[in-house]
Amino acid sequence: MGSISKIHDMLVTKQVSCAELTKSYLDEIEKSNGELNAYVNVTPDAALKTAGAVDKKLASGEEIGMLEGVPMTLKDNISTKGIETTCCSKILTGYKPIYDATVWELLQKENAVMLGKTNMDEFAMGSSCETSYFGGAANPFNTNHVAGGSSGGVSSAVGGNIAAYGLGSDTGGSIRQPASFCGVVGLKPTYGAVSRYGLIAYASSLDQIGPITKSVEDASIVFDAISKQDRRDSTSKGGSPTFDKLDNDIKGMKIGIAREYLDGVRDDVKEAVLEAAKVYESLGAEIVYFDLPILKFALPVYYIIACAEASSNLGRYDGIRYGYKTEHYNGTHDMICRTRSEGFGEEVKRRILLGTYVLSAGYYDAYYKKAQNLRGTIISAFNKAFESCDVILAPTVPMTAFEKGNAISDPIETYLTDICTVPVNIAGLPGVSIPCGFNAKGMPIGMQLIGKSFGEAEILNAAYKYQQAAPDKFIDTKWGVKL
Amino acid sequence: MVTREDVENIALLSKLFVPEEELDELTKSMQDIVDFADAINNAPASDEGFDNINNLSNVFREDEVVESFPSTEILKNAPEQAEDHFLVRNRE
Repeated sequence: MGSISKIHDMLVTKQVSCAELTKSYLDEIEKSNGELNAYVNVTPDAALKTAGAVDKKLASGEEIGMLEGVPMTLKDNISTKGIETTCCSKILTGYKPIYDATVWELLQKENAVMLGKTNMDEFAMGSSCETSYFGGAANPFNTNHVAGGSSGGVSSAVGGNIAAYGLGSDTGGSIRQPASFCGVVGLKPTYGAVSRYGLIAYASSLDQIGPITKSVEDASIVFDAISKQDRRDSTSKGGSPTFDKLDNDIKGMKIGIAREYLDGVRDDVKEAVLEAAKVYESLGAEIVYFDLPILKFALPVYYIIACAEASSNLGRYDGIRYGYKTEHYNGTHDMICRTRSEGFGEEVKRRILLGTYVLSAGYYDAYYKKAQNLRGTIISAFNKAFESCDVILAPTVPMTAFEKGNAISDPIETYLTDICTVPVNIAGLPGVSIPCGFNAKGMPIGMQLIGKSFGEAEILNAAYKYQQAAPDKFIDTKWGVKL
Repeated sequence: MVTREDVENIALLSKLFVPEEELDELTKSMQDIVDFADAINNAPASDEGFDNINNLSNVFREDEVVESFPSTEILKNAPEQAEDHFLVRNRE
């Protein structure tokens, strides 16, 4: 049983009140957040207020929904009305949105108990959470290792049992990669399945909000709750329900493995993924190998498109309307340049510069236009692949969580960690990362299941079946609230 | 080839200051990233084109007048304001 349904049962059968439960999570945050640095802002008052409302409903015998009263967290780039939302950047310190993101509006209607906002790479640009203005989040399996990024705080909190679940955002792997590093489940929905309204933009054609949870059924419950069409996001279409299809038989399901996804992947990761393929075979699925040579261009295509969009999206931070403003300046241009130079971190500046470069006259055709064309080619290649298989199985990251401090030194080396996750964003497809083993040092290994457009039900079904067959891969850490 | 002048020019377009002493280092770092991005020029030529993902099309709605945010709320986040407006900068 997943954490969400377990908590739901505990609340409904009155084993614990929502206020007690919320307090035990807040106590655990107090105890372990110093080491995990998962939360950048804890909101006990708001959490206890919602918990009180849930308890009142329970006391009056009213029925409660599956997510009601379940303590959770949001990545700090998801707008929360009246609650500081910083993207873990100096430039947004003090910024309190005046509206809620649609996903948070939907969850508030379900009386979700938000414990606080969680850590991330600055503006979601990074793969280790270490570009955060507040310092990186630690891995609950070994705090000398990174939690991954950019949704490192959510993954650390969920893996460390100081949130039952959380919402992250995934532009090039930012949900799946940290989920893989922290031994939890992370779903990046199809582009358009979940509204982006209120998600502070990094790269708008790639960004998507999704759940980070401890189990596949939890991911399914949260996805079903947030995947609604929203008129405030013109790219939102909504998703199809997944929960009632989780337990479908996967006999005869064709699971594809693209050989390119296994290139350059560490042996322990590759072994774990191929081991999982055997589990699928034992469940009656058919493993199909194929080639996807275009994948080797996915990473540069991703960085060109993401940085181009970021350079435009981040143009809005000018020190005038919100956030940080420099103190001493000489004229408007000087004020804006100083504000931005002092307010943005190194990696953000690097990506703005690269984005501006690929969009500038003389380079636009060679980089941006070419990357957009290749994006079309990559989409076609996936469409073709799905003619011969139902879902694609791949590693989530070529390695397990690395030690702190190793990511910062070489940007390109760090970009390479995204090699297995970015193709999904480029093609707008859904992908879920689930745990599939541990390496010799006890660090979790993740694998991802990639689906057809709006095929969340299929990949979660396949993921759930694996979880049932290999429950020992999904385990608790020493941290946090024990249910 | 990324030159120091390129970086200075891009920084100006990006409204970012690069301190003189960091220019060489940044130029090198930019060159490395541009080399990495250059890999796409080895890709097979494609005229595939790209409009949008998942064939999403525009969603149109009636142009209705709805209430917006009060300016007092919006101004609360402004680092500086004057007379119910954003203050860009003080007069010298």
